[in-house]
Amino acid sequence: MMADRVKALALPVSLLLIFEIWARSVHLHSDSLAPPSAIVVALWSALADGAILTATRDTLLSAFAGLFLGGSIGLALGILLGLLQPVDRLMEVTIEAIRPIPSIALLPIALIALGFGYRMEIAIVGFACVWPVLILTRAAVREVEPRLMEVSHALRLSPADRVRKIVVPAALPRIFVAFRLAAGIALIVAVTVEIAINPIGLGAAIMAAQQGLQADLMLAYLFWIGLIGFGLNAGLNLMQARLFGRAALVRDDA
Amino acid sequence: MVRILAATVLASVLTAGPAAAQNKIQIGCTATSDCASAMLAIDEGVFRKHGIEAEMVLIGINSNIPAAILSNSIQVGGPTSTVFLQAADGGLDLVAIGGATVMSPVTNNNIAAFVKNGITINSPKDFIGKKVGAPGLGAFLHVLFVKWLIEKGVDPKQVNFVEVTFPTMMDIMKSGSVDAVLTGEPFVTRMTNAGLGSVGARYASELNRTEPIIFYAASREWAEKNPEVVKKFRAAIAETAPVVNDDREKASVSISKFTKQPIELVKATPPNRSEPVLKPEQLAWWIEIMSSQKMLQSKMDLNKLILK
Repeated sequence: MMADRVKALALPVSLLLIFEIWARSVHLHSDSLAPPSAIVVALWSALADGAILTATRDTLLSAFAGLFLGGSIGLALGILLGLLQPVDRLMEVTIEAIRPIPSIALLPIALIALGFGYRMEIAIVGFACVWPVLILTRAAVREVEPRLMEVSHALRLSPADRVRKIVVPAALPRIFVAFRLAAGIALIVAVTVEIAINPIGLGAAIMAAQQGLQADLMLAYLFWIGLIGFGLNAGLNLMQARLFGRAALVRDDA
Repeated sequence: MVRILAATVLASVLTAGPAAAQNKIQIGCTATSDCASAMLAIDEGVFRKHGIEAEMVLIGINSNIPAAILSNSIQVGGPTSTVFLQAADGGLDLVAIGGATVMSPVTNNNIAAFVKNGITINSPKDFIGKKVGAPGLGAFLHVLFVKWLIEKGVDPKQVNFVEVTFPTMMDIMKSGSVDAVLTGEPFVTRMTNAGLGSVGARYASELNRTEPIIFYAASREWAEKNPEVVKKFRAAIAETAPVVNDDREKASVSISKFTKQPIELVKATPPNRSEPVLKPEQLAWWIEIMSSQKMLQSKMDLNKLILK
């Protein structure tokens, strides 16, 4: 297992080495590329002066707050629409009309309405996160074993108890998958908002480094964002496996 | 007694909050030397001396500045003349409160249409059919270049313009995707040294204008509500503008600190000329050329655009 992982690393490491040698041999003169060694040095200095950590905090704070906000709305709507078919039919046109709007297209309005800072970013991330959670939750709720619903009827559970005791536990593994998907989207949207407009976080730091003609620092931030995305996904996968065990693995393919 | 004391402290805190907040401003500019007078006023404590707490905010794209001002994310911004006029033309209630930089012989000479190897420009007509990268369509350098083409009798429609941001110019030129880029220093020197091409035209020098490049703008509502802050802001800028023009060393340190560009790179280029006073007739030229390029729809009232 371990040996396989080492083998898998062989290709990217050799590519980096080749790039390093090439960059040094041609005395790379670029505002967009930098040798890997320079990127490592830039990453180290950004970590040492705390700049990268502050930017990471800003980006993750916005991404998670947006995920929480959008996810909660998506979850509530998803359960509602999954349980009540007439409401689902009634809302279908509205949802399908709003859903395709790219969250980034809302930036100009969001900037004027909310200004720079966390609020605008959280609102945009929240908007982007509503839809995957809503749609996957709705599907998950609809696919709850009919016999479980019959049991809830037989027990004469109140609607709130039915959701709490039957629907959510039965649909939870798939709802978690929805949140995992939304977490990835949240990070992408947060960084994009920062690159486009918001002067905080990792996206803004990439732009500042690019405009400061510091390609090494720009790529260091890019690498760091990749690491964060990887870490986030790995953490959520681990959580999913721990919380739902085999149920999660089966459902993940669905 | 304790209660009275507590009430007094509470009252003073409550009343001091907004008063202090009024004197606190955020100034949004892009990573250029144009807001150097504000940068220096912060670093040298000139704003503080005048009773203003100011902070610079780095903004990625100049055209975002009007929206940032209107949302009160920044109270003062440094839009280019073209961005400001287009925003005002579009109905955003912005007002210019002071000058930042103007075109001057030295800085005009920094601006160039840089052409790739293998292309020779003997006359403006040679740009016909070429693909020219501008930092933004409708941006300062693009509008000036179009004006220059028109003056030289070339129809700008015969030139293909594409957007190429400053930091990517060098690599785009290297890849050969465009024939020329409209750029300024330090990019001209960097691209020349890298052997990527040569200067095809010093079009800003040939136009030889002295109108504003960037000026300080605010929302009319904010400016009218805070006349004292505007007055202090103007006084501080009037104090630091000559320093920017005369003390390259000091200006470079502040510019490098704000733009995060390496100090050697900043020092190698003279900053654009700071000019704290902004006159209506200086905007008239911009309005005229932008109208002739069909970039403005409405008739603009010069007296309304600049705060008295």
